[in-house]
Amino acid sequence: MSYVLTCPNCGPREVTDFGFGGELNPRPRSTPSQRELGEYNYFRRNVAGVQREWWVHRSGCGAWFYAERDTRTNEVLLTELPEDAA
Amino acid sequence: MSRLPEREGERIDRSRTLSFSFDGNEVSAYEGDTIGSALFAAGQRTFSRSFKYHRRRGLMCCAGQCPNCLVQVDDAPGVRACTEPVREGMKVVHMNASPSLELDLMSATDVVGGPFTPPGFYYKTFIRPRRLWPLYEKVLRSAAGLGRLRKSQPEREWRTEYRRRHADVLVVGGGAAGLSAAAAAAELGADVVLADEGPEPGGRLLAEGGRERARELTERARLAGVELLENAPALGAFDGLVPVWQGDTLHQVRAARIVYATGAIEQPLLFPGNDLPGVMLSGGALRLVELYAVKPGTRAVVAAVCDRGLDAALALLDAGVEIACVADLRPGGASGPAKLLLRRNVALMRGATVLEARGRGGLQGVVLGRPDAADGEGERAIGCDLLVVSGGSAPATSLLSQSGARTGYDTERGQFALTHVPSGAFAAGEVAGAGELASAELSGAVAGAEAAHALGFGDELSHTRAEEGRRTLARDHGRPAQAAVPPPVTSRRKGKCFACLCEDVTAKDIHLSVKEGYDSIELSKRYTTTTMGPCQGRMCQLPAVRLMAQETGTTLAEVGTTTARPPWHAVPMGVLAGRPFEPAKRSSIHGRHRELGANVLWAGDWRRAYDYGDPRGEALAVHEAAGLIDVSTLGKLIVRGPDAGELLDRLYPNRFSNLKVGRVRYGVIASDAGRITDDGTICRLDDDSFYVTTTSSGAGAIYEWFTWWLADWGLDVHITDVTQGLSAVNLAGPRAREIISTLTPLDCSAEGFTYLDGKRAEVAGVPCLILRIGFVGEVGYEIHCASAHGEHLWDALLDAGAGHGLRPFGLEPQRLLRLQKMHILIGQDTDSESNPFGAAMPWIVKLDKEQDFIGRWALERYAEEPPETSLVGFRMANGHVPTEGAVVMPVDGSPMGQVTSARHSPQLGGVIGMAWVPAALAKDGQRVTISDEGKKLQAEVVTTPFYDPDGEVLRS
Amino acid sequence: MSFEFLSTSEAAPARSPMEREARAAGAVFERRDGWNVAVRFEDPQAERERCRAAVGFADLSQLGKIELQGELAAFAGGGALELGTALRSDGAWWCPYTRERALVLCEAASTAGLRERLEEAAESSPGLASVIDLSSSLGALAIAGPGARETFARFTAIDLRPQVTPVGGFRPGSVARSAGAILREGEERYLMLFGAALGRYMWTVVADAAAALGGGPVGVDALDPVGQAAVHA
Repeated sequence: MSYVLTCPNCGPREVTDFGFGGELNPRPRSTPSQRELGEYNYFRRNVAGVQREWWVHRSGCGAWFYAERDTRTNEVLLTELPEDAA
Repeated sequence: MSRLPEREGERIDRSRTLSFSFDGNEVSAYEGDTIGSALFAAGQRTFSRSFKYHRRRGLMCCAGQCPNCLVQVDDAPGVRACTEPVREGMKVVHMNASPSLELDLMSATDVVGGPFTPPGFYYKTFIRPRRLWPLYEKVLRSAAGLGRLRKSQPEREWRTEYRRRHADVLVVGGGAAGLSAAAAAAELGADVVLADEGPEPGGRLLAEGGRERARELTERARLAGVELLENAPALGAFDGLVPVWQGDTLHQVRAARIVYATGAIEQPLLFPGNDLPGVMLSGGALRLVELYAVKPGTRAVVAAVCDRGLDAALALLDAGVEIACVADLRPGGASGPAKLLLRRNVALMRGATVLEARGRGGLQGVVLGRPDAADGEGERAIGCDLLVVSGGSAPATSLLSQSGARTGYDTERGQFALTHVPSGAFAAGEVAGAGELASAELSGAVAGAEAAHALGFGDELSHTRAEEGRRTLARDHGRPAQAAVPPPVTSRRKGKCFACLCEDVTAKDIHLSVKEGYDSIELSKRYTTTTMGPCQGRMCQLPAVRLMAQETGTTLAEVGTTTARPPWHAVPMGVLAGRPFEPAKRSSIHGRHRELGANVLWAGDWRRAYDYGDPRGEALAVHEAAGLIDVSTLGKLIVRGPDAGELLDRLYPNRFSNLKVGRVRYGVIASDAGRITDDGTICRLDDDSFYVTTTSSGAGAIYEWFTWWLADWGLDVHITDVTQGLSAVNLAGPRAREIISTLTPLDCSAEGFTYLDGKRAEVAGVPCLILRIGFVGEVGYEIHCASAHGEHLWDALLDAGAGHGLRPFGLEPQRLLRLQKMHILIGQDTDSESNPFGAAMPWIVKLDKEQDFIGRWALERYAEEPPETSLVGFRMANGHVPTEGAVVMPVDGSPMGQVTSARHSPQLGGVIGMAWVPAALAKDGQRVTISDEGKKLQAEVVTTPFYDPDGEVLRS
Repeated sequence: MSFEFLSTSEAAPARSPMEREARAAGAVFERRDGWNVAVRFEDPQAERERCRAAVGFADLSQLGKIELQGELAAFAGGGALELGTALRSDGAWWCPYTRERALVLCEAASTAGLRERLEEAAESSPGLASVIDLSSSLGALAIAGPGARETFARFTAIDLRPQVTPVGGFRPGSVARSAGAILREGEERYLMLFGAALGRYMWTVVADAAAALGGGPVGVDALDPVGQAAVHA
């Protein structure tokens, strides 16, 4: 695994520059039921395909950002800062 | 002596002789020789003994493709003699033969071993009786393996290096296609690297009449600015990163576009005796003649499936080798070279091939005939000392496959050919099916131009040319060169017929593996280890697939190939390991610790003072006078902004927005699952600013945890990680107050500077932040200052404390001291299952906080249900210190918990510890049994700190 | 005055995290602006030659390094900062990490003054702004000479080819497997920043890589002033 991710601030870097935050898993907005809490804490969709996920440029600017990545090929289709996301 | 008269274009320089030793005998060579060419010229025919049967093996490919000539050079095993240049004075020895290459006792396995050494024999033959396995293992282990590694080596004697190289275009392979591609791309302005595994670019051109052309193309590439890496095989393709091994350097090439011009690999034929020294691939024989002016034999037989073998026969004839007979597997037709051979009175057998090679110690003769003929019919036995084999070619698609290309069986060509090349990659030359010189060059030029075009280089003309070239190639591609496809095994005669030379796997072994149920090529690969040796399938992939198709009665297309995996080229582990440096963090005071005699250990990614040689004495000094410990490894964050208090309230289960300026509060961080992940202290510096410390190992993770939530919530807060910018020392003990007072104008009286105050003042002339906290249980001052002053502060404190009994103390005494206070260590006393209620800290969770916080919902549930297990202290009935992880059980009960920490405390005069126990047992005086490595020991539960339970000392 | 404890004081010696390594390599130190600075090794002439012909590296950890968060553009010497490019202004480099965070690099002598000026500016800034002195947080090595780029290639994957990283290019990213940043200060002159606690490790890594390329440590006096290096080109 040695693909390149493009940090929205710093540009392209080896994937080893980054920390992985997992697929987007929004925190419930209000008190969840026990089932919802369990799903939020312990379940992920884990798709074989394009997934929206969190990354942090650990060795560089330190910023957290979103990436859309195909989990089958590691092709990264897009990276963007949360404040720029639609 | 087999050296030919001087030849035009030879690589050797006859005016410069070198000398080296082989198995202790001096061998002379010319500058430019390889170990292989020099040894062969000196008459050596056996180069190695095979892996399992210890059969003699000689030069076969002369291009670093097969395993036959692996030798040990000085201290490096597994060196390919046929490609390794001779250096003056080098010591070369054989591998895998004892006592000598000529007399190898283990070669008995070749005679008697067959039935006993089928694939997986070590699981079959040597499995019974079971009690003898240790003996078998010993014997097998000493028999296995090839060369010898030196157990240790002086530092830096053999240095390996990573070198990162970014490029616009990487070209892998420096034959006609690769050179053209590199030149074409570079001429359009691209930054190009070309990696070629040979000692000189040119590939097949060098030994097959294209030497001048090779030099022209190389010159053109150089002039265009191409960086040429010679003797540099590419090892794999990892998402566009290609490691290229060159000597002691591993070039990590990251190119925007990659042109694979990896060529095709000439294939052997399968017949009994196909591994005898004297059996050579046509390319190998030609390389010996053309590059090194070495005569590969005196009387040769040639077995070919296409014109390549016939061309070789002509070249050998010119070099003075007698050609006894040429067997051409193609039944009819008269190609150009066939006519030339006939004109020169060479016997030519059509539709025939090798049925058997014979000889003891080396090739003495062959039997030629039709592979499908009934026994004996039309056969010819011919004496010879050289058998030149040319079994067709297999495109070297491995690196392409690793980068995402796909292959399929091309029935017409009898080989697996590319069917899909992924974007970003280009294939050129023989690997792409462009076999003829002209089309190889064209396909390279087109691929190189296309790679450059993809990056925005080039102009209208270059685009037009590339398009024209592409059309020409498509036309040529429809007319493959005439070649016969050999049967999996060319004869039904008896004798070992090697499908895999590296691992000594015979055709029969593959037959057996299918019979035993390993009927897919991937299973058979793992069972027989075919394609897993140093040649990485170059010589055996196609034969194995053919055999598998025959054995399973399927087609080659159905069998398919094994997944191509790195490394494509065998490589020393040391080259992959790179340079021996481990990122180690050190406190700014580290040098002083060393000078004070500290024992230094890894603690996470830090190097820390474990103790200064006397952990018990150091701990006692803290109780009796004062101690000084370097705690610079603590994570340290500045959290700043109008919403800073709000952010902390959301991140911690307790409250910080109401913390007064200049005060300190302890906090535990929980996940949304309610589990403890970290802890630390927080000091409020001003209305908008907090100073947050974390555990040493949690520093990076907590900074990211904070910034992650901040990115999500978008609060008006700035966070700065100042972990490495601040040194921190903890001065603790009954005399700490006196000591610090000598160095600071600050009022340090019990009233002026109370427990959990955080004050800023100069200490020893240095601006500091001082936190009155007590991890170790005595009056303590945690002093933080710019790390550039860390050493100065440390020295000043030690000087000031010299008359007060102050001693430096390390991590180990600190662990004891905090255990006496039952201060938990995250990750030591807690694990990923621990919540604050179980960890006996219900008071840290403020469920009455109005706003939501991370972990709230899970903690609300934990608050309702009493914990199943609790973290408690215990005191041992005797002096035994249980190991961490020892099992706790109710007296005479079943295991129900475990010890997390335990130490002997000289201060308390006994053994204390912490453990998780069932909640029902979490009461003072409860007796429990601790089972430690077979011993059952009695202990008593304690729920309040062992030392100073009410904190009177701490607060004083 | 909340954050004075992050800064150094001239009252006490300030030490680079690489001081012991430089000393072991034969450095001669001078106290400059409160810092112990490795000004030269045995032979200043040879050190200059090293930077001209091969590669030399010098410990510049004493440089002021001030982090700005918030509305940067207002501080950036009048010009707007563009990600990837450091701005040279007022004898300092203004290096943007993100749109809200930048690092100002200045001579040690100017650190205190610049910090105060920036703090004042932050206070009068309409939005949120934070000024943090990271001078002690980051170690700094200048790597200079025709072999500089090859030296970097031994321990970082950051692309420093001139067509990708022009003079003034600022590249946060992994150096020697650790968080860091590289600033191209001149044609053949780079400044590498990294966590101060990694000082000894970084020195070892750079010294090893440079030695294999015929280079070695040099004192700060062997380095051309930054402005001049750019003029040479």
